[in-house]
Amino acid sequence: MSEQSVIHDIGYQRYSGVRLSRGYAARSLFEHGLRVAFGLGRSAKAKIFPWIVIGLVTLLAVVIVAVKAQTGEMMLSYQAFPSAVSTVAMVFLAVVAPELVSRDLRNQTLPLYFSRPVGRADYALAKLSALAVAVFLLLAGPQTLVFLGSAFTAPDTSGVAAEARGLLGGWVVSAAYALIFSSLSVLIASVASRRAFAAGAIVVVFMVSSGVAGLLIALGGEGPMSRIAPLFSPFLLPEGLRSWLYGTSIDVGAYGPLYGLATLLLVAGCTGLLVLRYRKVSL
Amino acid sequence: MNMTIAWITARGLFGRKRFLLLLPMPIILIGVTAVGLAFDAPAADLAETVLLGLGVATVLPLVSLIVGTGVLGSEIDDGTVVHILAKPIPRGRIIMAKLAVAASVSAVATAVPMFAAGAMIGGTRLGAGFALACVAGALAYSALFLALSVLTRRPVLLGLLYVVIWEGLISNLVAGTRTVSVQHYVIRFAAELSGSEWFRTTVSTAVAAVMTAVVTVAGTWLAARRLRSFSVAGETS
Repeated sequence: MSEQSVIHDIGYQRYSGVRLSRGYAARSLFEHGLRVAFGLGRSAKAKIFPWIVIGLVTLLAVVIVAVKAQTGEMMLSYQAFPSAVSTVAMVFLAVVAPELVSRDLRNQTLPLYFSRPVGRADYALAKLSALAVAVFLLLAGPQTLVFLGSAFTAPDTSGVAAEARGLLGGWVVSAAYALIFSSLSVLIASVASRRAFAAGAIVVVFMVSSGVAGLLIALGGEGPMSRIAPLFSPFLLPEGLRSWLYGTSIDVGAYGPLYGLATLLLVAGCTGLLVLRYRKVSL
Repeated sequence: MNMTIAWITARGLFGRKRFLLLLPMPIILIGVTAVGLAFDAPAADLAETVLLGLGVATVLPLVSLIVGTGVLGSEIDDGTVVHILAKPIPRGRIIMAKLAVAASVSAVATAVPMFAAGAMIGGTRLGAGFALACVAGALAYSALFLALSVLTRRPVLLGLLYVVIWEGLISNLVAGTRTVSVQHYVIRFAAELSGSEWFRTTVSTAVAAVMTAVVTVAGTWLAARRLRSFSVAGETS
């Protein structure tokens, strides 16, 4: 012991900066999710699959623009675009949804998230909205491309205005697709910790339910069954909704409002189950 | 072929949650047929929508995809494949055992419900034709997806691209690509074996038979060859 003991100030400090809120954490999670969806900030390997899908969808838009520029004929309306690429969009979901949620389950990174201010519901909703926005961009991006192409070849301003109205309708349909597809597939992916398994499960649910619904439609003929059966296929539910809103798709008879209600219930139900799933998730 | 490996593979396949995904599909196939018959739908329409649309185009490739990538892909994924690779067993035999398990599980899981559905729609001959065609299809698909699971790190996604984009979209638009689509070989076999006039495809029987054999042999050979120089790595990207 020396004569004079001193306590050296070695410079430990309290954090005195701004404490960013729970909302900031949730926003960061959303932003990160959106980047992951397109493989941004990740290796080239992670970009292959999303960009194959984006390439296919964009190719279709370019073909539409080219045909329109040459012949003046709209091959595929803005509103019909999402249904034309819906199987490709399903592949995008099978790629991205497991990437967003299954990896965290498998690598057991959830405790790291949940030890922060971000809540369980915040996590689930941030992932869901990231996927929904990604799917919307996947569908609305090419629609916008078609709009730009047609606007430049339109003869006058009234033509441009008509195109813009068409584009807005197309965006509404795209948003319906994005909500229905992503809420369903995030829910499926959130119960599978293996990406491969989650991808398979998403495709099985989408394709088998559509096959069954297609058969019921064929069986129903002109009767009420063929107008209700599309409710049970994720591919046809948004088409029914479109038919109710704009009257331009499959025949739903007087059941239009039912499609609106079913869409609402499906999205709300899947979101609710997703939040419940993360409340109970084993860490 | 090595019985121990086959046994381990079968146990790994049945002992997991993913197996539950396979169960509903055959049940749905038979259930939908029953509903269709209850509605007195014409047999030709039912055969077209149920047997082809749901059975051959959806259930068969998806069951084969999940099983075919599950037998080896999941072991590669979680790293337990080294335990098998470290044993003095020729790699070709490992592949043969995995293929045998994958093909027989997919064949049973699809051929049995297809037989039931076919028999309900148009008699035993139709059912038997579809069941046999599905066995051939399951073998070809299994070899293909087994090869994919050794060749790439993301076999399920590549398999999905093949099934959904190539077979589902492109081969319906561009008739020429049907020569390299397992789905159309199965349709051809089913039409030939059941003697039914309901199914038409542009692929001839000889092409379908030869191509099925080529896909199966090439897939197995590629998988065995790739597994011989297989490097074990952790999960990347």
